[in-house]
Amino acid sequence: MFNMLYKEIRLSAHPNLFIFTLLGMLVIVPAYPYGMVFIFGCLGPYITMMYGRETNDIYYTALLPVKKTDIVKAKCLLFVLAQMTQILISLPFAILRVYILPDGNPAGIEANLAYYGFGFIIYAVFNMIFLTTFFKTAYKAGKAFLLAIIPATFCMILMEVLVHFPKFKWLDSTKAYDLLKQSPILVIGIVFYTIVMLLTYRVSANRFKKVDL
Amino acid sequence: MIILKVDNLSKKYPGFLLDDISFSISEGKIMGLIGKNGAGKSTTLKGMLNLVNRDGGMVEMFGMDFFKHEEEIKQQLGVVLGGIDFYNHKRLSDITAVTKRFYNNWDDDAYENYMDVFSLNPNKKVKELSSGMKVKYMLTLALSHNAKLLILDEPTSGLDPVARDDLLTLFRQLVEKKNITVLFSTHIITDLEKCADYITYIKDGKLLKSAEKDEFIDSFQYLREPDENTRLSLEDIMIRTERREYNV
Repeated sequence: MFNMLYKEIRLSAHPNLFIFTLLGMLVIVPAYPYGMVFIFGCLGPYITMMYGRETNDIYYTALLPVKKTDIVKAKCLLFVLAQMTQILISLPFAILRVYILPDGNPAGIEANLAYYGFGFIIYAVFNMIFLTTFFKTAYKAGKAFLLAIIPATFCMILMEVLVHFPKFKWLDSTKAYDLLKQSPILVIGIVFYTIVMLLTYRVSANRFKKVDL
Repeated sequence: MIILKVDNLSKKYPGFLLDDISFSISEGKIMGLIGKNGAGKSTTLKGMLNLVNRDGGMVEMFGMDFFKHEEEIKQQLGVVLGGIDFYNHKRLSDITAVTKRFYNNWDDDAYENYMDVFSLNPNKKVKELSSGMKVKYMLTLALSHNAKLLILDEPTSGLDPVARDDLLTLFRQLVEKKNITVLFSTHIITDLEKCADYITYIKDGKLLKSAEKDEFIDSFQYLREPDENTRLSLEDIMIRTERREYNV
């Protein structure tokens, strides 16, 4: 599978995937809806899938000495790799902003534990719908994207709006006791993401097996 | 030794049926798969390679069931799909760097040698290659992992007569010097006259005949008109078999 991931990065990935992944840094912008970072984390992989269709990536891969389901596994892993890298890139900036921008983010949610918990959920919703829809045909990327990005954006807006209600002020905080209160959201996010990705792989692989290339 | 054996391969599409295709190729031979456009040649090749899901039939390569030993068999297999270019904007060296990682038998010296013999520049991008050069690059990849069987879908279509002749001569050399077995589909009959040992003819999704070239030609001589004395060529056979009357 390492070779397949190497192939994904060296041949399949569109340059935008790397740029959108780097946008994890946006959490250092003083006032910005940080939920957009996760949307960029969905856009990058989508553009790569579109690019893959134009470069006949799946045909090339299908002729390599690999199983048909490995093609799906590699794509799922590429999504995970890009999104986890994006989170890792954003982390130092999220920590830094607590010190250099102590007044918080007036535009929306603060880059805190709840934010990352929601982020995992946004990624998971997008990946599940996009990949399982895409691998029904292995070419209809646009339709899969539309179906996936709408609920993912809805989750993002929900997160951004929620913190403006006084009742949910604790979600917008970086204070220690609020962070403790937020930690279950992060745990739920990570568990949800893991389960959804495993499920996404199984469903997508089964669908792709039936596709005639 | 039989290198490739296809038994009753079937595939049903809405409006098209590939019906019980069977043939086999011995080691070191070239088989041409012919038929007009849309006859089912590509579907046959894709069905054999599990790129499309077959509705029935068996495929054996190197004595193994292809569908059970797909990864193992593909290590010894080279495939060129006509008209499909991979990664147009990538350099050949990038594609090679990735491809070689997947093959246990990759031979760097052989790769350098074929790149040199075919005058392929590794720094060129795929889109900068002519159609003939693209086929040669794909063949280079196949030969560098010591493929024993080449399956080529319309490798000569879109090539000028010189490039076509060049490629067909190369196939013959590969068979004679390296004992490689080749299955290639084509709708260009002169390709077969020059290069094939065996011919398999598919018409409207059905196998019409699969035989050694001379036997194949002999078996269609009944198509001669009563006043014809000359032997029918492959082209005559195909045209007469496919000829239709239009009621317009």
